[in-house]
Amino acid sequence: MTLTEVLKHTSPALFLSELQATDKQSALEEIVGGLIAGTPITNRDTILQMLQSREQLGSTAVGPGIAFPHGRTLAVRQLTILIARAARGIPFDSIDGAPTHLFFVLIAPPHDSGNQYIRSLAVLTDKLQSAELREKLMAAPDYDGFCKTLQEA
Amino acid sequence: MNQQLQLLVAIQDLEQMIRDTEDETRAREFTEMGFTLNGLDNLKKSLIELETQLDPRHRNYYRKLTQKFGHAVVPVIGNLCMGCFANIPSSFVSVTHENKVLHCENCGRILYWP
Repeated sequence: MTLTEVLKHTSPALFLSELQATDKQSALEEIVGGLIAGTPITNRDTILQMLQSREQLGSTAVGPGIAFPHGRTLAVRQLTILIARAARGIPFDSIDGAPTHLFFVLIAPPHDSGNQYIRSLAVLTDKLQSAELREKLMAAPDYDGFCKTLQEA
Repeated sequence: MNQQLQLLVAIQDLEQMIRDTEDETRAREFTEMGFTLNGLDNLKKSLIELETQLDPRHRNYYRKLTQKFGHAVVPVIGNLCMGCFANIPSSFVSVTHENKVLHCENCGRILYWP
């Protein structure tokens, strides 16, 4: 799976340029609010509960300044990816203890045809290991600039 | 949305997450990406808590369906039950707003409109 294919599952409506949240719980709530606002998805509580359960399993903030909240739920019909940024950083129980600035949120249906969800997650976690890229993504002016930066890296 | 249906969906999602974590191949994929999966006991506790909130009637029916089909709750997409692909009468769609847990008339699975 290529990065271009991964980015087909997101859109400008699923780009939250600056989260207002100051802690993990409110960040998850804001993220789910963004999903509801940017898609035909309606079941806010189910998605929030799934993401909270996933964090109980182990924090998804696995890289320096970056988190990949993810999971599968009946509440969505297709793989949906939301991107969010927080310039000030949000405590997200990261492995290194540092605040999280970049969020890539992947929500997939239970029957994930072609294993798109895992493959997309693998592409993103691999790509975003570069500190230089993460800095450029934080500086991107908008959704288009963000995607362009990601694809050019 | 009916609270019992909400619980049934949450339980099925959680069971899926637990299965994925217990699946060696899937768990290896996650750990190779850098994720830690050390909170499995937390998920199992949450599952028990959710199940205690279910009406026993729904809980028993959910278990029976899970044993029979693997997934007890299935989405309805394009008026089709995604479990058996039977047509769901359009009259059902309006009933969904009446706060009920509905079943496919053909296969018996619990229906959910995503």
